[in-house]
Amino acid sequence: MVNRMQENGAILSTRDLNLYYGEKHALIDVSIDIRPNTVTALIGPSGCGKSTLLRCFNRMNDLVGGVRTNGECLFKGKNIYAKEVDVVGLRKKIGMVFQKPNPFPKSIYENIAYGPRIHGIKNKKALDEIVEKSLKSAALWDEVSDRLHEPAMGLSGGQQQRLCIARTLSVEPEIILMDEPCSALDPIATSKIEDLMIELKENYTVIVVTHNMQQAARVSDETGFMYLGKLVEFGDTVQIFERPREELTNNYVTGRFG
Amino acid sequence: MVEKFYEELDELKAEIPMFGAFAIGMLEDSIKALKNQDLGLAEEIRERKANLAAHHTRIEEEALRILALYQPMAKDLRVIACINQTNYSLYRVGRIGWDIAKLSMYVAGQPFIENLQNIFYMGDLVVAMLRDVMEVYESNAISSLLGLSKRDDVVDNLRSSIFRECLTYMMEDNRNIPRCIDYISVSRHLERAGDHACLIAEKIYYMNTGERVEIR
Repeated sequence: MVNRMQENGAILSTRDLNLYYGEKHALIDVSIDIRPNTVTALIGPSGCGKSTLLRCFNRMNDLVGGVRTNGECLFKGKNIYAKEVDVVGLRKKIGMVFQKPNPFPKSIYENIAYGPRIHGIKNKKALDEIVEKSLKSAALWDEVSDRLHEPAMGLSGGQQQRLCIARTLSVEPEIILMDEPCSALDPIATSKIEDLMIELKENYTVIVVTHNMQQAARVSDETGFMYLGKLVEFGDTVQIFERPREELTNNYVTGRFG
Repeated sequence: MVEKFYEELDELKAEIPMFGAFAIGMLEDSIKALKNQDLGLAEEIRERKANLAAHHTRIEEEALRILALYQPMAKDLRVIACINQTNYSLYRVGRIGWDIAKLSMYVAGQPFIENLQNIFYMGDLVVAMLRDVMEVYESNAISSLLGLSKRDDVVDNLRSSIFRECLTYMMEDNRNIPRCIDYISVSRHLERAGDHACLIAEKIYYMNTGERVEIR
């Protein structure tokens, strides 16, 4: 089992993944392969299961009561739902950014240094380096380098969201999950995050859930369309938006429902 | 919003057959003017040029406006892509009619060669190809489009036989030279118009299926 991910080149896969919220069957036989160093977009109408699927990738659904899953979710060939998996370590490898920016009520510096510190890095110089590197990777350094010790809450919404991305990057993840990362931002802040997603794929794998189809079309390499808990179609982004195979996908991306 | 979009897209889509009738009409009439040496008709065709350009621009502007405002996707995007190409091709067809009308005025006073009928036959074939393609644009009966390649081959072959025929007439009697030279140009124009029928057919096929095929 360990080597089967290398065979198809995927970093993250699911096989017949099912998820239930109590009685509700929220994910139905989802099988997907996420290739490394790509941006993958998940689209679909509200309640289709795209955020649920995203949260499966770093076991955020564990925190919801009454959730059952079956099937496999494999990160680099290992089932992340296996008993021996260290969930904290998993979430370090597979980080997450949420819809609303949620910085800690601390300084900009502390927001970034917090994660590395609890993972055992105490050296001031090493932390300084991580803060600078993470902020640079999140395209925020130039805007905040002279006020690192000011409260993060004083930043604009778009800056806060990039700070959250920098915070995710500080613990050196391999995959970054983004759940509607731009829906609370204005168009300029949105386009900065979109540029950032494209830059990030050089070193990371990005999976983004979005309601904004133009955004999915702009930033992603591959797109999955979900409907009523099923992954209806998954493929090259240009193909999905120009000549989808499934009638249902066509109807969704042309705005006939959703 | 979706309803408004589809109303506007449908209106735009319906412009193409109207523009097609106008542009193909210019081509068909220009062949008539050439055949009947009808200077009045030729002059009248030349005056249609401004309307042709205005209609073409109007469709293009509307297509761009819809792209900018609604960012259509999938089939809707392919409809716009097809409209844009068809709009351009039809404009060229109209311009070819305009060019042939101009040539027919030059040769009106020159000796007519009764036996040189292939040029009119070629014109009829090309007009029929264009009309049939525009019919598929409305009916979406795309299977018939693939047969267009063969018809285009006939048109291409006619062009070379017209060339050889004209050479013979020019060698026979040098008074035939002006008319024959113009017929050779006309056959070149008609061949291009046939190519546009094929281009439009490719786009209609793509609009309906998302697949690119080569029809030529």
